[in-house]
Parts: sequence; structure tokens; C-alpha cells
Amino acid sequence: MCNATRLPALPGIALLTWLLAACGQDTAAPTADVTVLQVWAHAGQATERETLQQQVERFNRQQADVQVQLTFIPERSYNAQVQAAAIAGDLPDVLEFDGPFLYNYVWQGHLIPLETLLATDLQLDLLQSIRAQGTWHNHFYGIGSFDSGLGMFARRSLLMQAGMKDLPLHPKDAWSVVQFNALLNTLTTRDPDGAILDLKFNYPDEWFTYAFSPLIQSAGGDLINREDYQSAREILNSPAAVFAMQNLQNWINKGWVDLNVDDAAFTTGRVALSWAGHWEYQRYQEAWGDDLVLLPLPDFGKGSRTGQGSWVWGITRYCEQPRTAADFLEYLLQPGQVLAMANANGAVPATATAIKQSALYREGGPLHLFVVQLNEGYAVPRPQTPAYPVISNAFRRAFADIRSRDDVRAALDRAVQVIDQDIRDNRGYPFTAIQD
Amino acid sequence: MPHNIVLRLTSYAALVVAALLFVAPLLFMFAGSLKPDDQVLLEAGSWRAFLPDTIAWQNYLDVFARVRFGRYLMNSLFITSMIVAAGLIVNSLAGYAFARLQWTGRDILFAGVLTIMIVPLEAIAVPLFYQVTLFGWRDTYIVQILPFLANAFSIYLFYTFFIGLPRELEEAARIDGASVLRTFVSVIVPNSKPVFATVAILTFLMQWGAFLWPLMVTSGEAVRPLPLAVSTFHSLPPLQWGDIFAFGVMMVSPVLIVFLLFQRWFVRGVVATGIKG
Amino acid sequence: MLADHQRLTGLLLAAPALLGLLVFVAIPFLLALTLAFTNLRLGSPLPVEFVGFDQFRRIFSDPAFLRALVNNTVFALLVVPLQTALALALALLLQQRLKGRVLFRTLFFMPVVFPLSLIAVIWILIYAPGPNGMMNHFLTTISFGAWLPRDFLHDPYLALPAIMLTSIWQGTGFQMLILLAGLQTIPDELYEAARIDGAGRMATFLHVTLPQLRNTLIFVVLVTTILAFRLFDQVQIMTHGGPRNATTTVMFEAVQAAFGRQQVAIGAAMSVVLFVVVLVITLLQQHVARHEREIS
Repeated sequence: MCNATRLPALPGIALLTWLLAACGQDTAAPTADVTVLQVWAHAGQATERETLQQQVERFNRQQADVQVQLTFIPERSYNAQVQAAAIAGDLPDVLEFDGPFLYNYVWQGHLIPLETLLATDLQLDLLQSIRAQGTWHNHFYGIGSFDSGLGMFARRSLLMQAGMKDLPLHPKDAWSVVQFNALLNTLTTRDPDGAILDLKFNYPDEWFTYAFSPLIQSAGGDLINREDYQSAREILNSPAAVFAMQNLQNWINKGWVDLNVDDAAFTTGRVALSWAGHWEYQRYQEAWGDDLVLLPLPDFGKGSRTGQGSWVWGITRYCEQPRTAADFLEYLLQPGQVLAMANANGAVPATATAIKQSALYREGGPLHLFVVQLNEGYAVPRPQTPAYPVISNAFRRAFADIRSRDDVRAALDRAVQVIDQDIRDNRGYPFTAIQD
Repeated sequence: MPHNIVLRLTSYAALVVAALLFVAPLLFMFAGSLKPDDQVLLEAGSWRAFLPDTIAWQNYLDVFARVRFGRYLMNSLFITSMIVAAGLIVNSLAGYAFARLQWTGRDILFAGVLTIMIVPLEAIAVPLFYQVTLFGWRDTYIVQILPFLANAFSIYLFYTFFIGLPRELEEAARIDGASVLRTFVSVIVPNSKPVFATVAILTFLMQWGAFLWPLMVTSGEAVRPLPLAVSTFHSLPPLQWGDIFAFGVMMVSPVLIVFLLFQRWFVRGVVATGIKG
Repeated sequence: MLADHQRLTGLLLAAPALLGLLVFVAIPFLLALTLAFTNLRLGSPLPVEFVGFDQFRRIFSDPAFLRALVNNTVFALLVVPLQTALALALALLLQQRLKGRVLFRTLFFMPVVFPLSLIAVIWILIYAPGPNGMMNHFLTTISFGAWLPRDFLHDPYLALPAIMLTSIWQGTGFQMLILLAGLQTIPDELYEAARIDGAGRMATFLHVTLPQLRNTLIFVVLVTTILAFRLFDQVQIMTHGGPRNATTTVMFEAVQAAFGRQQVAIGAAMSVVLFVVVLVITLLQQHVARHEREIS
């Protein structure tokens, strides 16, 4: 904290406010010889929250001398809330956070490495995508009990009618951009309102980076130069990136994209294709049964690419019992618990052991494609840099402009400028800054 | 006179048209709250938007299932009523001191209050946020209450009202030997109901809808107020418009009741205080 | 003796409020002023430095911020007169002693009671794209089919007007009530005198009502203008400043900078600019009011 922000001493007010603040806090005081672990988690869907709640209760019953206290934080502006808690010095012992924010939190010095705390077997059992995302500068900081899958849900019957006999079921067979555009063109002629593609434009915030930066990567561009993470110039506004975004803008301009204000475009049959995540499987399956099929995202030149990353757990620097915290995380990563959570939120189980036991995700299961994408390198982690919050913020803004038919190159140029400026302001985010 | 009748009819016609336009969005919400989720948007383009064909309370049950509505409501009620109640005391005392008492520094301090009146909360939100987090107040009730007790605009309203009261009121009490505070409580306050009602309602409306500040300083459900629940609700897929509208109806009902009960006082207060300029 | 006693009592009575204003308004404002000259970033381990006017130079060369200033100004220039005129019209209608006026007054005031965050969500649905959207359908109907459905909140030309309409709908009732109160304080004798002089309705309105309402109108215009420059909630919920910055505002940019991109110092600099704008408007308004008072 800089001196400029120090307040003039106001002892009287300080005392008064301390008293008042004390009244406002929760007073569930634990007994003396029990280790209390403060845990923050995101408030996801109801089933997800209930499952975690039950897991915590079971863990607390098993452990006589450990008590996990769980707080749910709304997803919206989660990062801002973590930052605020960090300033106030009241980050919890165990913190759940959205995967790509890991590097920023490590850089700020909030997280401690986990590789020596967690069992090696467990670490080797993890999905490749989770290991990749959690590792930064040779240390492992974030472990998730699930990962996310992004793909294209479709109705087989409509694709058949459009002449698509062999559907690409592996990312290596994904449609090329030319094939995909042709397919959209065919589908649109058979559709009453011409809109045949759902891109989940009704979603907020992070969705746009998560779902559409893979398109840029598939074309050969990226959000930032990953060699040194110092600039986005000629990467995010490279011809490849511009091509990918222009293509997407073209779908919008032609009226092929359903704006989906009611989030019912696919379930009510208005569209044939829905660009969506694993969390929609349940609802879509109920609507269309066997007609539902999951496909890889189209290949824009350099192979199909997809998103990855979801909520992961980290242990904060303020935790006095990291080993106990690690016990809790290992408990959440037990196959039974991983499956319980995967069943609750429909996500991809984080360990190979759990995947084998999952009817949805094991080899031959309807969502096995997500596992292939995550394990075989088709899923790209979001940029592993403390600048990520700014990168995502800038890209989302550019995407919103592109969606509103702004010039693609100009929109991406603006994003590049914001990103590069921020990296300069932070002197390139030197990793050494956190060593003291 | 026929001229008068024509005027009356046109006035009524204008009033009715305006009232329809003003009420339509609210009716839309109310009707939507009683419909199945997927019908809300489907019927938005027809007269059905304002009239549910079947009454379904499911959305209201869903609200309780999806968020702890009771908790949010209690938080909002507690925070708002604390600000209103304590704010009335603090600001009326200050308004009285500025309007009716002689003391050193009064004029300079009053000028200061008038200047502060124009500082928007938004302009100081960021440093105030830093300040309260340094105090360790993040995620408490206090951080949502204390900064809003003293209010320059309320002080100004009290000031303009008190300054218009006849002097004789206090003089009688003072001859009886009552203290300043006692005079204020037993003589001034009973004669100032309209201004108290006005300030109370204005403060209530302003705080009930508070959005930016609680968004910044709270994280847990434990202390968050209703407006944040709306936005959490709105951003949690799948989007269920029926539920959102049911939530809205539940959220606004308490305020609507308060307003309908006290609106007579409120209107009188607006006439009597300096609001009108 | 009594005076001495009063001297202390006055300060004591005012003290709680003054302390509150000092701690929660005056000090944070001075803090904002200070932060704006640093490079403070939320949570950064890098040292904080004073950077002089760099942040101000930067925001004034940031097209999004400049656009925000323009948007706020356009919003104020359109919403303030439209909303005031509408509110005055409604107040005049209600001032005639018609049956049911309390009911109408209540109906017009009702949107004011609704929190902006809720109103914004309702209006998102009203502005839903496609022919099924309420606003689209309404416009198509009253234009006999000439209106083609638009996606209001994602249309660079319609998004800001859409937000304006929502704001007018929400704010008019409050203005109307204040103007109604102002109308009620105009002495009947003035209207009486006007009638004896043979003045028509228009003349009475121009020469009695308007001059008598002057102070009320000035107050209403000032408050609405200040609110226009503070615009945030609707933008945050309905458009996120888009499309293409068409609806971004100074407050939205400040919150984006401070919380979206963790650039607290830039957020503070933007807040300071907002304060200066509001201050200038207030001073201008007071100058105009005083000037007019001297003339009349």
C-alpha cells in the first residue's frame, strides 16, 4: 500500500468503526482446538452449490479437528471481489477462482505452490488441460475437480436433411471453414427465419473470450504473443485473427445467428446448431434425445481449437495450515467426489480415474469428445499471464463491437492498444516482482 | 360551457394515454411473473404480454428455490431502515443547528455542506472503496450504512424547512426553561412531519435501489441487498424471464406499499420544503 | 450566558452529520484527487509512484473516455429538456381539478419507486430484437408496418436513445411531483388578475405560470443534469457501454478501469473529471439563476 492512501489518524472514529464493524461480522465462533479453514467458492447453479455444500459437510464429519467454513460468492465480478478482499487482508485459506485468473493472483503473491502438498498420483491422474492451466513458472498453483468442454451441439436429423452424412466426431475431422460456411448456407434456406446458429449471445462477460478466442487460434492468431507475453501486436490483430472474426461477423450480418434473448433457441428448435458448453447437455438431451449430437468446432486453418478452463482451487498465502487445506482439496479430488460434482454440473471430470467411471465421458460416451479435446491438445489454455484480466476485458469489448458490425481490424487494433499499454504500465509483469 | 367540456375530455384522453404508457412496462412485468418462462418473450409482442391466460405461481416458488430471497429482503430492509432512521436524526439535528442556532463557524461550515451536496457518490466511489477496505469493513452491513447517514441534501431540506418555522414556537418552550435538544424534540419535530416524511421517502427510494456501492463492497449473500440479487439472477444461465419478473414483483412490493401509505405526507412535504426550489 | 451555551450546542448538534460528511465525502474526495496523480493498480506488487498529470493526459487521449463525455453530454442535452417538458405537461394536466387525479399522479410516480437495476432488466426484454419484441411490435403497429424490427440495444444508433427513453420513463414522475408542488404554491390571485386582464390560456401560462415556476424549474433542471452525468446503472446492465462505445459513460469507464482492468488511478482520474464537470454545471446554473433574479 502506498503512503498516499494512508488516512489521517482519526483515533475516535477508528474505535467507533471498529466496534461497529465487529457487530456486522458473522460470529459463528469455532471451538479452540479445531482448525478452521475458510473456503470461498463461486455460487454456480443450485445443484452445484448443494453438492459442494454436502461435500463440505461430509468432510467436516470425517475430520474431528478440522472445520471447513464455506462462503459462496456470486460469479459476477468475482475477480473484483477477490481484489477487494486482498486489499482488506481477508482472503480465505482456500480460494476457488476462474482458471485464467491464476497467473494474476500468483503474481500478486496470493497463492502458494501445490506440487509438494498434493499426492503425486493425484497430480498424474489429472486431465492434461488442468495441469497445463495450473502450471506457471514451473510451479503448480490451481487444481480443479472438473474442466469445461466447448463444442457444437447439433440435431443429427437436420444435418442429414442438409446432406451431411458423415458427421465429424473427432477434432481431427472437424469441418473446414469452407465446409462449415457451406453447411450454414444450406441450413439457412430450409429455416423459416433463416437463423440457424446459436452462439449464446445472451451470455455475459467471460463467455466471449472463452468461446471465440479458439476461433482466432484455429486460424493461426491468438490473444497475445505467447513467446514472451509482452505484446498482442500482429497477433490479436494479425490477418489470421481478422479473417476469423470477419467470418464470424459475416454469419451475423447474413442473419444466420439467433440472438437468443430467451436462451431457448436450441431447445425450442429455432436453430440447428448451438455453440455451447458442457453445461447445456442435460437440457439439450431432454429436448432432443437421440437426435442430439456433439461436434468439434470448425477448423479455420490450423486445426480445430476449443476452449478450456473452469473453476479451480488454490491455497492462499494467508493459510496457516496448508497441509490441512491440501487434505481438503485431495478429498474433493477423490473419484467419488469428482463424479458427484461432475454429475451435478455436467462438467468433464478432472481425473482419468473418474472419467472411466462416468457414463457420459468414458470412451463411447456421448460427451467423450470433450475429453479428447482436453487431453489431446485441441483445447487452448487462455493466456498464462497476469495481464489476463485486461486481455479478456479488452477482447470482450472488441468482440461486442464486432458483433455490432464495427470494422473488425479497427476493433482488434483498439484491443491490442489497451493490452500493450497495460503490459507497459506493469513493466512487462516481471515475475521477479513476487520473489520478495 | 362546451369549450370547457372539450378541454376536459382532451385532458382526460391525454392523461389516460400517458398513464397507459407509464404503466405498461410494469404490467408487463407483473403479467410475465405469472407465466411459464418461455411464454414471456413469445407473447411480448401481443396484448397477451399484459394478461396471463393461466395464473402460474411456479415462478414465485422458483425464486425461493434459486436465491435466498428472504435473506436479501431482510438485508435490504435492515440497511435501508437504518439509513433512514439514523439519517433523519443526524441530518435534522444538523439542519436545526444551521437554521436556528448561533454558533461560531456556522456559516463557513454551511457553505461547506452546500459544496459537498454536489459531490456525486460515483465520483468518490473508488477512493471511498479503498478507505473502507482499509477500515476492514468490506462485506458488512456497516459499510452499506454508515457512509450514507450524513447527507448534505437532507441537511439542506431540513434547513429550508426549519428556517421557515415561526420563532414563537421555540420561545414559549425556552421560557419554560427547556434545553435546546428538548425544545427540538418536543416542539420542532411535532411541527415538522412533512419534511421528515419527504426526507424519509427520498432516502428510502435512493437507498432501496442502491446498486454500484454494494456491488463494490460486498461479496457474500449474507449482507447483500436485493438489487444485486436481480443482477446475479439475470447473469445466471439458463435465463428464466418468468423467474426474474417474479423476483421483481417481490422486490418492489414492499416499497410500493410504503409509498402508497405515505404518499399524502410525501406530496405535502414536497410542497412544504425547499425541493421545489 | 445563553449565547455561550448555544454556541457549543449548535456545534454539538451538527457534529455527527459534519463528521460523517468529512469522513465519507470530503476525505475520499481528497483521496481521489491524490490517487489520480499516481499509478496505483489494484493488487500490483510493483511500487506506487507519482506520475503527475500522466493519467489525465491518458484519459483525454482515450477515445472511449472522450466518447463517454460526449455521450453524457448528448444524454443531458436531450433528456433534460424532454423529461422536464413532459413532466411539466403532466403536472399542468393534473393541476386541473379533475376526478381521479390522485390515481393518475400515483401511476405516473410509480416507476420512480422501482430500483433502476430492476427497470433495466425489464426494459432489456421490452427492447428484445425480432418482431416479437414489445417495442418492435409497438413501433410496427403504430407505423402500419413501416418499422422493421431492430436490435435496439446492439444498434449503434438506437442504443443510446433506448437508454434515454428508459431513463425518461423512470424519472419523469419525480419531476412531475416537484413541479406539481411548485404549481400549488402559485397564489390564485395571480390567475385571477390574469383573467381580469383578459389573458388567454397561453398568455397566462407564459406570463404567470412559467415565471412563478422559475425556481422550481431551475432546481429540476439542475438535478436532472447532474443525474445525467452520473449515468451508470442502466449502462452496466443493459449495454455494457456498447455497441462501439455508443452508450459508454464517464462512470462506466471509471468502474471499468478501476474494477475491470484494476487500474485504480485511472478510475480516480475519471472521477475527478466527473466532479469538475458537475461543479461547473452547478456554478453555471447558480450564475444563471442569480443573473435572472437580478433582471426580474
